[in-house]
Amino acid sequence: MKGATMTRVRLTVVSVVVLCLLALCMSVGGKKVSAQSAASPAAPVYNPYPPGILPSDLSSELARVLREVDGLEAEAIAQWHAIPPPVVSGQPPTFQNTGVASVEILGKLMNYDKTISPFENEACASCHMPYAGFSGPIPSVNLTMIAYPASVRYRAAKRTAQRYTYSSYFPPLQYDATQGLFFGGNFWDSRATGYLTRSPDAEQSQHPPVCPDEMASPDIACIPYKLSLRPYASLFEEIWGAGSLSTITWPADAAHVCATPEGASVFGSNTQPLALSPADRTLATNDYDHWAQSISAFEHSLSISPFTSKFDAYLAGKATLNAEEAAGYALFRGKGNCNSCHLDGRSTAPTPPPPDGTNPTGQDTGKAADVTPVFTCFGSANEGLPKNPRIALYYETTPDSFGYTPNPGGFTYTDFGLGTFLRGGFGAAPNPNSSWRQYAPTVDGQMQVATARDVAMVPPQCKSTEAPGPYFQKEFFHNGYIKSLKQLVHFYNTRDVYPFPVESGECPAGTVEKVTCWPTPEVVQNVDMTTGMLGLTDTEENQIVAFLQTLNDGYTTPYPDIGTYTGACMSGGNASTQGNSTIISAIKLRELMNQH
Amino acid sequence: MNRVHVKLLMMVAAGSLLFPNPIVAQENPYSPKAILPPEPRAAHVQITQGPELAISRGDLAIIRWTTNNPGGTDVHYGIVHYGTNPNDLSQTAKNPIHLNRNHPDTTFRVRVMGLSPQTTYYYTVESAEATGTNDGVKSSVKEFSTR
Repeated sequence: MKGATMTRVRLTVVSVVVLCLLALCMSVGGKKVSAQSAASPAAPVYNPYPPGILPSDLSSELARVLREVDGLEAEAIAQWHAIPPPVVSGQPPTFQNTGVASVEILGKLMNYDKTISPFENEACASCHMPYAGFSGPIPSVNLTMIAYPASVRYRAAKRTAQRYTYSSYFPPLQYDATQGLFFGGNFWDSRATGYLTRSPDAEQSQHPPVCPDEMASPDIACIPYKLSLRPYASLFEEIWGAGSLSTITWPADAAHVCATPEGASVFGSNTQPLALSPADRTLATNDYDHWAQSISAFEHSLSISPFTSKFDAYLAGKATLNAEEAAGYALFRGKGNCNSCHLDGRSTAPTPPPPDGTNPTGQDTGKAADVTPVFTCFGSANEGLPKNPRIALYYETTPDSFGYTPNPGGFTYTDFGLGTFLRGGFGAAPNPNSSWRQYAPTVDGQMQVATARDVAMVPPQCKSTEAPGPYFQKEFFHNGYIKSLKQLVHFYNTRDVYPFPVESGECPAGTVEKVTCWPTPEVVQNVDMTTGMLGLTDTEENQIVAFLQTLNDGYTTPYPDIGTYTGACMSGGNASTQGNSTIISAIKLRELMNQH
Repeated sequence: MNRVHVKLLMMVAAGSLLFPNPIVAQENPYSPKAILPPEPRAAHVQITQGPELAISRGDLAIIRWTTNNPGGTDVHYGIVHYGTNPNDLSQTAKNPIHLNRNHPDTTFRVRVMGLSPQTTYYYTVESAEATGTNDGVKSSVKEFSTR
C-alpha cells in the first residue's frame, strides 16, 4: 500500500506537470499562424469546390485541432518519461511490469504525431480526437463536407471518421458459413481485414498514412523514416528491437520523397519510391507492422476503450438508470429492436414488459451474459441511408497540382461499402481473399455495425450532441447524413414511413427532410428491414437517445483527455432539424459543379 | 514454496493489476465471444399476422408480415413473389432482417420496387435463413393496388 500511495503522489505531481505543459502548449500554440514546423514544406492548396461547399472556418478550425494535437503529443511525451526504465526478463524476453504501459504510450505518441504526414500538418488524431469519442473534431466539417481535409489541403475522402473506441474488439474479417454472413474487420467497409496481423484494428492504422485522400505518404517506408527522426525513436527501438529504425540506410532523397504526397503523377504506379535495399525494405515493412500494433495497443487501452460508462456501472449494480434512461433501455431491447445488431450482452431469454412481452413487473429479467458488451454484432448492414451530396469527394473531379484526381466520377460515385471492397473497386482496397468476391452482390451497400458505445461523447462543456444545446455537432453513420441522435433514432423509426423517391434537398412541399421525408436510399439493394417502421412515439425516441447517452465512457472515472476541446459549442434550433440549414439540393449542387 | 506462498504471490500480482500506473492501461475486462453460433431453429414457423401492404408510394410498396421467431441464422430474408397475374408471380423481391434473439416474434418487411402506377399486384411471401434454408412458411396469394 505504501508503494501504491507513493506511486499516486508521484503521478499526481506528474499529472500537474503534464497539465501545465498542455496549457502552455495550447496558449503558445494559439499565437501561431501556422502549425507547421519551420522545416516542413508548405502544403499546396487544392480547392475544386464550388463556393459554399467548404465551411468558412475551415482554416482556423484545422489550426485549432493541430494546437490540441500538439498539446496531447506533449502530454504523451511527459507520460512516456514518467514510465520507469524497462527491465527485460524471461524467455521470451518481456518488459516486466512496464511492457503494456510502454507500447500503449508509444501508440499514443504516434497517434498525436503530425510529422508523419508529408506536409507535417496531419496526425491520426486530426480526424480522431478524444472529446468526440475519437471521431471527427470539427463541428463545421461534420456539418458540411463530412470527410476531413488531407495533408494536401483540401483533398478529402468520402466517409465519416469512425470512432476508435472498441475498434480493437472486432475480429479479423471472415465469412461465417454457418451464419452465412461476414463478421469483423475494421473501417466502414471492413477493408482492414487483419489477414496478416490478425488484428483488423492494427491494420486499420496502416491505411490512412498512405491514403492519398488522407495523410498521403507515398510509401509505407516513409512512416519508419519519419519515426526515425522523432524524439521517441528510442522508445520504438526499445520495444521493437535495437536497430529496427536506426540501421536502415535511407536514400539521400528520402525527405523529398516523403514530402511528396501519394497520388503525385511523378510516382506513376510506383508504391515504393523510397529506394531501399531488400534488407532495409524488410525492416521498414516490419516497422510499419509495429506502428500498427502500437497504435492498436493504444486504442485497446483504458485510455480509449475503458468500459467506464453509466451503463457499465448499472450492470455492475453501482448505478441506477433514471426513468427516462430505463425506458430507453427497454425500448432499445424491445420495440426499438436496436439490440438485434447492437448486442447488449444480455441473456437470450428475458421476458420484456408489455407491450412486447408479458412480464408484469416491467423489469428486465435477463441475466448479463457479458458484463461488458460492446454493442455491436461485428457484422454489417445497409441501413438505406440517402446519398449525402455534401460529401467532399463528389467535387474532386479535377487534378490537383500533383496531377492527382481524387474522384474522376464525381456524383456518379456510389458507395457500395463492403460490396465494393470485395470487388476491389474504386475507393476501397485490394481484397486479399478471392473466395469472398462471390458474396459481393449480397453485401452491396453494407457498412459496419458500429459499437453504440460513446456515440454520444462530446466535450464536457458542450453537454450533448443535441440541439438546442449547448451542443457539439457530430456526424453519424458512414456518410454523415444524420446530424443528431434524435435524427438517428427517428431515421430507424420512420425510414419506411416517410419514403420519398427524391434526392436530398428535394423533399416535396409540406414535408420536412429528416422529419417527414426520407430521400431514397443511395444503395437500394440489400436494405436491412430490421428497423424502418418501429412505431415509436416522439417521447420513446427521446428515451432511446437518453439511453444511448448512458453508453458514454467517463461516468465511473474521467475519460482521459476529454477536456482538450478549445473550440466553441453550438446552440439553438432543435435536434429534429439540426443541420438542415446546410442541406443544399442535390440537383442544385450538380448544377453548381457544372458551372464551376 | 508451498501453496500458501504461491497464493500470496498471486494475490500480490493481482494487486499490481488493481493499482496500476494510471498513465497507462491495464487489461480490459472484456473478452468478446465475437461471433455467436446461430440460435436453434424453431420447430414450426407460422405467420401470425399479415401479409399486408404496409405502405405504397410512387413505384415502391412495402409488404410486411409477422411470424413466430424462426431462429436459425441471425440474418433472415423476407421474400415476396409478385406479379400482375395471380397465376404468374414470377418476380421476386427480398430484403434481409436481423433477428432479435430476445423477441418471440419477428416482423418481416420487404421493399418491392419498380411498380407501375394504378396497377393491381398479386403476391405471396416466404422467408429463409441467410444460408438459403427456407423457413417452410408460405402465404396465400394476396393483392394490393398502386395509386
